[in-house]
Amino acid sequence: MPLNEDALWYKDAVIYQVHVRTFQDSNGDGIGDFQGLEQKLGYLQELGINAIWLMPFFPSPLRDDGYDIADYCSVHSSYGTLEDFRKLLESAHHRGIRIIIEMVLNHTSDQHPWFQESRSSTDNPRRDWYVWSDTDNRYKGTRIIFLDTEKSNWAWDPISKAYYWHRFFSHQPDLNYDNPAVREQMWQVMSFWLEMGVDGFRLDAVPYLVEREGTHCENLPETHAVLKDLRRRLDEQYPGRMLLAEANQWPTDLRPYFGDGDEFHMAFHFPLMPRMFMGLKLEDRKPITEILQQTPEIPATCQWSLFLRNHDELTLEMVTDMERDYMYDSYAEDKTMRINLGIRRRLAPLLQNDRRRIELMNGMLMSLPGTPIIYYGDEIGMGDNINLGDRNGVRTPMQWSGGWDAGFSTAEPDRLYAPLIQNPVYGYPAVNVLSQIGSDHSLLRWMQRIILVRRSSAVFGRGSIEFIHPANHRILAYIRRLGNEAVLAVNNLSGAAQAVELDMRKYKGNILIEMFGKNIFPRVSDQPYLLTMGPYQFYWFKLRRV
Amino acid sequence: MAEENLLTDDFVRQLINVGEVDILVGLPTYNNAKTIGAVVQSVQSGILRWFPRERAVIINADGGSRDGTPGLVTGVSIDDMRPVASMNALRTLHSISTQYANTPANGVALRSILAAAELLRAKACVVISPDSENIEGEWLWRLLRPVYKDGFDFVTPTYHRHKFDGLLVTNLLYPMTRALYGLRIREPYTSEYGFSGNLGSQFLARNPWEDKSNDSWGELRFTLEAIRERSRICQAFLGNKHHVERRPSDLVPALRQTVGPLFSALDSDFSIWSSVTGSQPIGTTGPDSPELLEPVRVNRKRLREMFSSGVADLSSVFQSILAASTLSELQRIARQSETEFEYSAELWVRTVYEFAASYRKSVINRDHIIQALAPLFRGRAFTFITENRNGSAADVENNIESLCLEFERLKPYLLQMWRSGQ
Repeated sequence: MPLNEDALWYKDAVIYQVHVRTFQDSNGDGIGDFQGLEQKLGYLQELGINAIWLMPFFPSPLRDDGYDIADYCSVHSSYGTLEDFRKLLESAHHRGIRIIIEMVLNHTSDQHPWFQESRSSTDNPRRDWYVWSDTDNRYKGTRIIFLDTEKSNWAWDPISKAYYWHRFFSHQPDLNYDNPAVREQMWQVMSFWLEMGVDGFRLDAVPYLVEREGTHCENLPETHAVLKDLRRRLDEQYPGRMLLAEANQWPTDLRPYFGDGDEFHMAFHFPLMPRMFMGLKLEDRKPITEILQQTPEIPATCQWSLFLRNHDELTLEMVTDMERDYMYDSYAEDKTMRINLGIRRRLAPLLQNDRRRIELMNGMLMSLPGTPIIYYGDEIGMGDNINLGDRNGVRTPMQWSGGWDAGFSTAEPDRLYAPLIQNPVYGYPAVNVLSQIGSDHSLLRWMQRIILVRRSSAVFGRGSIEFIHPANHRILAYIRRLGNEAVLAVNNLSGAAQAVELDMRKYKGNILIEMFGKNIFPRVSDQPYLLTMGPYQFYWFKLRRV
Repeated sequence: MAEENLLTDDFVRQLINVGEVDILVGLPTYNNAKTIGAVVQSVQSGILRWFPRERAVIINADGGSRDGTPGLVTGVSIDDMRPVASMNALRTLHSISTQYANTPANGVALRSILAAAELLRAKACVVISPDSENIEGEWLWRLLRPVYKDGFDFVTPTYHRHKFDGLLVTNLLYPMTRALYGLRIREPYTSEYGFSGNLGSQFLARNPWEDKSNDSWGELRFTLEAIRERSRICQAFLGNKHHVERRPSDLVPALRQTVGPLFSALDSDFSIWSSVTGSQPIGTTGPDSPELLEPVRVNRKRLREMFSSGVADLSSVFQSILAASTLSELQRIARQSETEFEYSAELWVRTVYEFAASYRKSVINRDHIIQALAPLFRGRAFTFITENRNGSAADVENNIESLCLEFERLKPYLLQMWRSGQ
């Protein structure tokens, strides 16, 4: 299956997020690798996704799950070789699947040779590749992101006898983007992978590239200038490739990252995700519609990226204090589930393994404006292990079968990079790909179907959205529209059956065709359109004039 | 279901949109545009502050206002179409209204609210008076919390009142319900109270829509229902009671809504009150923080004049209602000068009890009996005001307590009349 040549391919994509370490171990060392991932491309193709976002696979001391990169132009030996990666890329493309890789622009590992050189002497040519200071009093207005572990954004380097700037862990010094040599070098790094054929980058932590005194050192114009320059070079030299911004910001602060369609192609919509969970718990569409109404228009070539869960905590930075308290009490009563300003849990445990709620959340993910991202394992309802440190509890091996090592590896179980989920509800004997493939009604089969339906119409990826505001606040309803095509999505956020009247007069004369079963529903008239919805049920209707 | 006949289709549609709730605030209204705006704003802020996570609804039962009252109530709804108002709200707040009639009727308003509470499966409900200009958001917390969090079924308020405010409560309703049922519920007839959904449903079941005699009764009946059901009852201190000016002509309707149900209940509740002696205090929550109260002006002279003329004009009626000795005593004091005049506690209690007994026997039309009580109450009010004109708040309290004890002491007299009439 050839790759779709459309330059806006990312708008129609369904992305699968995976860390190579977690997916499939081909050589029996207990760690997933490129060859293992390549072996499982058929599974992903059958799932229906058409892009993979690979988390960092570079050489790294792995003190931050690979986001502490020690060499940008190689791969971690545990995952294979550069040649293995090339083969994975080729095989994926052959199956019509694009590969998006991670690029951490903001910082390196303190083990990176650049930092080692930089700290070695104030005269070193790479001294200015990082942000150094004699005091820790600069940039005082800057917040600390990892509140649980870091007390300051400055760390004392005993070798260099100076402070260096870090927005994340202290072992991740920030690069100095005021230095043209750094900017040039990072473009060279990106070119290295683009030449190989990668289809896009998820650019990590982009708001923090540049620092300026008297600011909070986020979203600065100078940072946007750096990013625009990267985009310009990308378009000139590698058209059709994509940049995805990781910027945990309010939508209005995110909007500049799209520029005039000349900065990022895509950006995560961070504030929406917690509000989807909030809306579900409250049984009220208000949090969801409010944040989407506050979401500004973006250029036609740009796209939001939506997700339910990922490798990090369910971040609660972009909510009010009251909302955060509510989310904690609702989804993380056990305080060990909390980390930083968020909740370190997977989708299924967050939703108490309630199949109806899992489906509803995925239904919204797939029908709200944006490109959906599925976190590996969530398509089968994998659980987590909150007893593992940091966010490792949501990064356990993929559960392929109920057999040895869950089919992930042939290594001795205690050699696996992380323990398998073992508990009776979510453990691999109960939750695995093999058993779900064998059941037409499994979550996996259902995910295959919804992805198929989503991909059957461009309206989901490219259409406009128009909210209908039924008086029943438990119902979230909207029309997605692209050209002459229109789809009505109706979601019941309540655990009880609901009656709802939709004002559909604008679409008078259309009949509704339910997109999963293809059944016809009554024609829209001047009267309110009455629907009865089961608990947590959702409908997608295609509107047709017949 | 009987309530299907009362609730309009439009109101039912609104209730469907609201769905199940935890908290329900009921607002019975009739032409309250002057005050309702401030009241609903306080209710809204109270919900947002004290019950931000709970599913809440404001239900307005309107008796046919022509001044735009319902629109002022529904205007405080919070939803995704009103983003500014909802900045600090987690969830949607529905504020809906129904017009049950073209004339106000307390009983219908309350039953409309109760029917909505039952359909919405409300856990805790509160009724707020549209006149409560001094309402604070915290009232909701005080009236609802005992129900929502602590398992109480009924919460009545206590207030700081001016010593001459609420004379019907202090001179009749409170002491008589206390003597009858043995519970010291200080405000048995109140326009603000909290209750559980269960109690509301029980009440609704006992007072069917079809019985039109239920339409005009007041909230006292709800209090009696709570007592009758042996509900868990507590009191919540709400601060100063805002005094609402009343005209003399308001007295008879007030007696109909309060004394009528109380006298009616004596029959059905005989097995309950006949065995009660003494009384028990009710637990009260909330800080007691006295503040200066606005003075209440009372035309004493007019009270006494109305008493005297009433005794003279209604002597034939009183002969049917009162014992000869009581009537004779009333006629005696009616002739007294203003400075000598005294309608003693004992005489007042005998009067009330004899009215209750006559009401039971329907010696004359029951409504006429209630109306006939009005001039006598005015006489008692005159004495109460005179006795307490220079008294401190504590002195007044002591006098009210003495009157309550008199009601309790003379209860055997009521019992005797009751039994002799059986």
